Amino acid sequence: MAAASAAATISKQMKTYSISQLAGLFGLSRSTLLYYDRIGLLIPSDRSKAGYRLYTQRDHDRLGQICTFRNTGVALAEIKKMLASDNTPSEKILENRLLEIGQQIANLKSQQQVIIRLLKEMTRDVYGPAIDKQMWVKMFQAAGMDEPAMMKWHAEFESRSPDAHHDFLISLGISQIEAEDIRCRSRRLLNKSR
Amino acid sequence: MQHQLTKEDWIDMFRQSGMTEDQMKKWHHTFEKNHPEGHKAFLSWLRIPPEEIVEIRDNSK
Repeated sequence: MAAASAAATISKQMKTYSISQLAGLFGLSRSTLLYYDRIGLLIPSDRSKAGYRLYTQRDHDRLGQICTFRNTGVALAEIKKMLASDNTPSEKILENRLLEIGQQIANLKSQQQVIIRLLKEMTRDVYGPAIDKQMWVKMFQAAGMDEPAMMKWHAEFESRSPDAHHDFLISLGISQIEAEDIRCRSRRLLNKSR
Repeated sequence: MQHQLTKEDWIDMFRQSGMTEDQMKKWHHTFEKNHPEGHKAFLSWLRIPPEEIVEIRDNSK
């Protein structure tokens, strides 16, 4: 009985994880742990008789720390240093990381500003200032264009770029129905002149 | 409003509808006098470079 209990204690102390088990516990892939092994970040403390990697509880705990540090965005090489040292270098590394993040935020903010500026310039392409149909007609009249000349202009517009013509009419505050009517008359005029 | 119309298209459309050079000048003049901001926006909508826009607007005054 006592021997069995002692054996159970030992087995509990010696609890080991296969690579897949440990990876599963932390939501990582096997290849991640293989990589951590290769770079010396997390080397399994034991091997099975068949040569498979066996991770101990200490390895398990170390991986927990690695995951915590990973969440700070610190590079793996730096994490290795942090785990190898007492607090002082770790603090320095975290402080550096904090500075780095500040720099990245500043860069992103400046990118944000450039995008906002570019988008503003692009939307300037949209011709929708306060020019309505009446103003437009008045300007044509002031230039000496009469009704037939204006109709001819619509026809020209329609024949060159129907979509742009449509959008242009809408941008002048003309209703869909009226725009369609103007375009219809434009097309009729075009057909007549052909 | 996206479009591919250029200044040349626009001038050509005006010509085809019977507008003379003088009438076009007068049209710019009226546009600039009555709606300066609209005139500017219209010219940049035609993708005319800024320095040319300044020139056209100056000549329209």
